[in-house]
Amino acid sequence: MNDAAAGRAQFRVLVVDDDQDMSAFLARLLAQQGLNAETVNDGHAALAAIAADPPDLVLLDVQMPGPDGFEICRRLKASEATALLPVVLVTALEDQDSRVRGIRAGADDFLSKPVHREELIARVNTLRRLHETRKELEGRRLAAQVQEKEAIRKAFSRYLSPRLAERVLRESPRGGDVFRDLSQRALVVALFADLRGFTRLSETVPVSSIVPMLNEYFAVVTAAVHENEGTVFSMAGDSMLVGFNVPVSQPDAAERALNTGRTVIRSFGPVGARWQREHGLSTGVGVGIEAGEVVVGNVGTPSFTSYTIIGDPVNIAARLMQRAEPNEVLIGPRAARALGASLAGELRKRAVELKGKAEPVEVVSLRLGRAG
Amino acid sequence: MSQPIVVTVARDLEDLIPTFMKNRAKELETLRGALAGGDFEQLRQVGHRMKGVGNSYGFEKVSELGKRIEDGAKASDRATLETSFAEYADYLARVKIVYE
Repeated sequence: MNDAAAGRAQFRVLVVDDDQDMSAFLARLLAQQGLNAETVNDGHAALAAIAADPPDLVLLDVQMPGPDGFEICRRLKASEATALLPVVLVTALEDQDSRVRGIRAGADDFLSKPVHREELIARVNTLRRLHETRKELEGRRLAAQVQEKEAIRKAFSRYLSPRLAERVLRESPRGGDVFRDLSQRALVVALFADLRGFTRLSETVPVSSIVPMLNEYFAVVTAAVHENEGTVFSMAGDSMLVGFNVPVSQPDAAERALNTGRTVIRSFGPVGARWQREHGLSTGVGVGIEAGEVVVGNVGTPSFTSYTIIGDPVNIAARLMQRAEPNEVLIGPRAARALGASLAGELRKRAVELKGKAEPVEVVSLRLGRAG
Repeated sequence: MSQPIVVTVARDLEDLIPTFMKNRAKELETLRGALAGGDFEQLRQVGHRMKGVGNSYGFEKVSELGKRIEDGAKASDRATLETSFAEYADYLARVKIVYE
């Protein structure tokens, strides 16, 4: 069987006619064209057969017991599952009223009774070609959709943890919707992490080691961010800005930020110890966390855009990070309030003077040993 | 003996013809029964069906009689219906099928 014949064999036609001689005749002609023809003899059986296994084309008599041809056609065209299923109404040639009613019911074509075999073959072949073109276009559309989704997923993965990227795509299949509002106010928890002592270290180690060391550090931070489903907003030098409760809601955003800070410090411990052994200088991660309202948006030019958060909590988190000792998490007052009981037992308050703030800010300090 | 009426039918339909002819004989009985019972709606439906199926197989006369029966039923024209039935019976008795 060649490809064309194989294609035809897969094309299934349902013949619906209460006159068994007529349905046998139509099925015979279709089978001679290499098409797969099945017959049913009343409207109820037709609807049941189509629901069970939709064919590629229906040849439908008009006058039948049960729902007549018009009614069946209307029902098929009204249902999303069968709206595109081509329906040919088989009517008497001179019956203009039936043709008008058929058009209103959504019929795709008409075949005259008595049936002229060349007319039948020509109409069915035309509809088969249309059907195949439609299927091909649908296949291409689906493939394009998959590609688009993959591209969005890749773009997201620059910012989001894989789990969060999945969630964004699930909640907003076109993805871009999440980032569409170019400037939007949102309550977020901002976390800055920075490698304290790295500037000094970078002056002593060979240049060729700096990038691999930074990569090792960022791998630790990124793993902790992904684990807690944070969104990376920027990486500069050895510092990283991460947001929580953005772009999707996270009611436990402050806990996620705190866990991220703890995990980063704990996971970096063995790396810092090794670096100290190899290069003789001590390093450790300092973390600053603050919560509050920020502006979230895509900032930049058409050729380069950065998904950014801007606002006081971001500035405070940055300054807290600068003030944090190695292995210390400094938590701003609003983030501390949000954390509440999560900090019980381990909080150590201290007032910190921050650049740009007239009064010292009371912050919570969490010092973590390298072992945890 | 009356002359046969020769009808040429496509050879690829040959195996369907015995059933087709049996159904025509049954159809004539149905028509007679419907007229006896005054069921003009059934007469119209059967006539309409004959009109569609007859010439599809190559039996032009069946389609022609079907149209006459459908119209006669719509007009409740007993005389036309009776004449048509007689003509149908005569046709079925004389028809001779040749396959090509």
